[in-house]
Amino acid sequence: MLIFNVGALARQIGVHRNTVTNWIKSGKLAARPATAKKYIISEQEFRKFCTREQVQGNILNRILSKADAEKEAPITRKTQKIPQREPSMKQKNLGSVMVVGGGIAGIQASLDLADSGYYVYLVEKSSGIGGAMAQLDKTFPTNDCAM
Amino acid sequence: MNDNFEPVIIGFLCNWCAYAGGDLAGVSRLQYPPNMRAVRVMCSGMVHPNLVADAINQGADGVIVMG
Amino acid sequence: MEKCIACGLCAEKCPKKVDDEFNMGINKRRAAYIKYGQSVPLKYAIDPENCIHLIRGKCKACEKFCPTGAINFDDTAKIVKIDVGAVILAPGFQPFDPSPYDIYGYGRIDDVVTSLDYERLLSAGGPNMGHLIRPSDHQEPKNIAWIQCIGSRNNNRCDNTYCSSVCCMYAIKQALVTAEHLSGDDVSQTIFFMDIRSHGKDFERYYENAKTQGINFVRARPHTIDPGPDGVGASLRFTTETGETIQQFFDMVVLSIGLEASKHSIALAQTFGVELDTYKFAQTGSFLPVSSSRPGIFVTGAFQAPKAIPRAVAQASAAASTAAVMLTEGRGTLTTRKTWPEPLDISDAEPAVGVFVCSCGINIANIVDVTEVARHASTLPNVVYVENNLFTCSADTQELIAEKIRTHGLNRIVIAACTPRTHEPLFQETLKDARLNGYLVEMANIRNQNAWVHQREPERATEKAKYQVSMAVAKVVNSVPLAQEMLKVIPRALVVGGGVSGMTSAIAIADQGFETVLLEKSAALGGNALSIEKTFKGEPVRPMLESLMEKVTAHPGITVETNAKITSVSGSVGSFVSDIDVGGQIKKIEYGVAVMATGGREAVPTEYHYGSDERVMTHLEFDGNVMGIFRKDAKARKNEKILPGSVREDSSVGEISHRDVSMAGEGTAEVPGSIVFIQCVGSREPERPYCSRMCCVHSVKTAITIKESSPETSVYILNRDIRTYGVWEKHYQRARELGVIFIRYGVHDKPRVNPEQDYISVKTIDPILQMPLEIHADFLVLASGVVPNDNSEIIQLFKCSANEDGFLNEAHPKLRPVDMSVDGLFLAGMCNYPKPIDESIEQAMAAASRACVVLSKETMELDAIKSFVTERCDGCALCLDVCPYNAISLKTVEPPGQDTAKLSGGQGDELKEQGGLNGRAKKQIITDPALCKGCGICFATCPKEGIMVHGFTMNELKAQVAAALA
Repeated sequence: MLIFNVGALARQIGVHRNTVTNWIKSGKLAARPATAKKYIISEQEFRKFCTREQVQGNILNRILSKADAEKEAPITRKTQKIPQREPSMKQKNLGSVMVVGGGIAGIQASLDLADSGYYVYLVEKSSGIGGAMAQLDKTFPTNDCAM
Repeated sequence: MNDNFEPVIIGFLCNWCAYAGGDLAGVSRLQYPPNMRAVRVMCSGMVHPNLVADAINQGADGVIVMG
Repeated sequence: MEKCIACGLCAEKCPKKVDDEFNMGINKRRAAYIKYGQSVPLKYAIDPENCIHLIRGKCKACEKFCPTGAINFDDTAKIVKIDVGAVILAPGFQPFDPSPYDIYGYGRIDDVVTSLDYERLLSAGGPNMGHLIRPSDHQEPKNIAWIQCIGSRNNNRCDNTYCSSVCCMYAIKQALVTAEHLSGDDVSQTIFFMDIRSHGKDFERYYENAKTQGINFVRARPHTIDPGPDGVGASLRFTTETGETIQQFFDMVVLSIGLEASKHSIALAQTFGVELDTYKFAQTGSFLPVSSSRPGIFVTGAFQAPKAIPRAVAQASAAASTAAVMLTEGRGTLTTRKTWPEPLDISDAEPAVGVFVCSCGINIANIVDVTEVARHASTLPNVVYVENNLFTCSADTQELIAEKIRTHGLNRIVIAACTPRTHEPLFQETLKDARLNGYLVEMANIRNQNAWVHQREPERATEKAKYQVSMAVAKVVNSVPLAQEMLKVIPRALVVGGGVSGMTSAIAIADQGFETVLLEKSAALGGNALSIEKTFKGEPVRPMLESLMEKVTAHPGITVETNAKITSVSGSVGSFVSDIDVGGQIKKIEYGVAVMATGGREAVPTEYHYGSDERVMTHLEFDGNVMGIFRKDAKARKNEKILPGSVREDSSVGEISHRDVSMAGEGTAEVPGSIVFIQCVGSREPERPYCSRMCCVHSVKTAITIKESSPETSVYILNRDIRTYGVWEKHYQRARELGVIFIRYGVHDKPRVNPEQDYISVKTIDPILQMPLEIHADFLVLASGVVPNDNSEIIQLFKCSANEDGFLNEAHPKLRPVDMSVDGLFLAGMCNYPKPIDESIEQAMAAASRACVVLSKETMELDAIKSFVTERCDGCALCLDVCPYNAISLKTVEPPGQDTAKLSGGQGDELKEQGGLNGRAKKQIITDPALCKGCGICFATCPKEGIMVHGFTMNELKAQVAAALA
């Protein structure tokens, strides 16, 4: 999720702030109002919008990379809880999964999910992943090194 | 042969095992003499015989292929 | 954490020593520590329970010495709230702790260790760096014993009645590996066991091999463990099968401890509200083997049941697949892909090398004179800019490098720092951000392979570092920008085999939104499950099977083709093309991945009068023809009579009458009075040297059904080992409680079967009584093993591989259990190895998960480190045979200007094949970048540099060698 204020986004794209407000009002820019005069939009929607409005790729990338890098940037990526209008069913389709346990099973599940486009939170109680398998010297029946 | 002889050894190290082992030796602070000059390769099977011959011709005292 | 460079100074300076739990407390670690050398993330951590500062507010030694200011004592645990669509629980197991039980001597006798302790003792990364010494006197042990089933298969004190599934195999492994650690011919390893359970793929071979390597296997459970003389070693007392009590001394005793649910995982289950079974493992069903009792929460690994690594890995993929099916709509909404600006064209530019020498705080600079290395670098040809950084990998240095690339027009970069294995990707990104191709950077590893390993010789280390930099510069000057090919992925899957595995895979893939074609060679779906009544957990199979069949036929994303087989395959991962023969009609399909689920079948026995006497049957025949009687309500059968059946001493031996079955009746009865099962029929023998995994549980389960329905019926199971692995051990226990009689036989002393008019005579020797027995059976059930269906066509078409027994091979037996060695191919079910339904379903879901990893990408970016053909190739084809990935093929190429249009149709092709064409066309090899892994064996084989590997060309490597010797 991206959070922005109208003026900052207008400057980045190089249009007047009223244009951005109009976009939002007309639904062209599918953003919803958030707190402190800011708006919230999913990254996917934002990318779609940029393609439609022919915002140049490098501008889009700059906006997105700043959103990642700087906490105080005009446009930030929201990592906390997303305000949900419809909490019940909508949450089921979040594209993220929590995997509890960083042993070989947890690692494999995380890799598969992340590789196929899901955001994964891998939670491990110790300071490193690897679990019991990392403690093994070799594995049968090939006597490969467990590492 | 002179007692101070320090050979120069060309090592071809497989990226996935020997080179990784070299890195691990570092993490574990295992000490060994600095006589080997390592060439990283993607597989020890990649080391062409000509490369070994070349190394010897140019004065290497030894070649070690690890993989 | 971002600042930590894993230099280890904090651990060196930390004054607090604590037991290293990773090494099972055999040695000490500090309170500032990494779990182990290859730890991921490779970041030191502070153990809050032992850190002097965090406990008493003093010390802070680590903070003082940390070169990067990475120590942050305020960074303590905090509550983070995250929203997720699904949860996968994989908390694992805890090893059984034998210390509370005095009988095992653990903790009381120094040289009694657990198998996990022993694993650390063997490990090169362990407390003794792989030097195997016993704890008491630090001498090499010569004579080592393993005791199996410690904390497993025991309801006496520890209450873990299940089998832990892995201990037999790891004990054999440890016994074999021990020989590699010890010198001398007097090494002896003895394994005390109840049943050896080598029920996995190629496990039986491993076991047989261990026997030939001189490992002693003794069927006994030592009952007393005493300390040896002077507290060294231990002495075991045990009773052999023949009743003899023996006391034997060992230098060291290893307790093969089992796996059990940890209190953490039990608490975790409570937190998440998922139900546990009687053994405190997560409760699951056979048809949904990774779904917990709560929707949206999936379980995997040893948390679900004790299991070995490959099944845990497959289950993990299965859990990922099930979660992914549920969240398909959300795929890609929370993840991003990075993009880079178009790189500059440097093809005409002279090499301009920038060298960045890292001090890595003091890690490098303390040993290697980095200023001198930098000065040396500036003298090298083509080097136009040199700089020394405190931390070349830091974020601000990346910007600095990008800036120097712009301002100095650099087009090649050398980073003299740590290892490319961890840091090359970072610098490649920096180059890409600065509009340079990512392959124009080379690293000189002056930390891991220099400063850290030559700490006592700083001068020679500096000298070596200079050479390392020279070599990197020499190579990078010869480097060229490399293009990463993009391959379009065809978002369609092919599933071969319409049994439970194939159907499950097809549904799981189609549910994630990818079109799937399901091929079945016969006329109907269903496979082996059609003839199976119930799962090992007791669920009826038929309703599940029918719902699967209905689902695949009705699913809009699945096309089912019956009477179908593949006749041709071309292409590679992401884009395969095949002709399939559907009932005589050829169809062409394109697909990105394929799942092999070709299944297996019950072997046809050749012994024990099978085929000549109809009372001798296989498992499946017995299930279909006889078991119906026992499935009826016992009450309904009250008045039916029972056929005579009896066991008596072999008449040739004498008259001692015992265990005579007393319910002899007459004539017209329906219920058999005596049934004999013979296990391992045709299995675990030279012609089929593997264990079929399921037969023991199947026989035992069948015996229970018989006994529960008709307690009067005598049931005998003649076996070599009972292999009711994992939680199925409960069935073995239940069967014994019900009075099923288990008699062991040896492979060289098989039961002798003689069909008589009224009964089948089965003669065997009871090893406990040491007496021959004769059983009169009404039915003889042969537990015949599983053989794979014929995969030879598939192997030929896809160039994949199978083991000696014909089972398709996985890419790695532990870590890639459902991937095949050919990228884009996955496998599931019995074509891989015999397995029960729940495990087949797990594997099928896992294969779907792995397949969807490929399918979910629109395009695949291939690594640029691939072989390429040079103009010097003359088509000698020497490289074809050595390529392990079949990535090279031979083709006839037309010289420029050749009019190919003239050669029309088959004749032209034929001519081309012959390579003639008046000597104008020439043969040349082509490589498939999608198959090539860049190993370069072709390059080393080619006598004329006709094929090389990008990034490791002859010029680049020769330049490195020359620079090393300059």
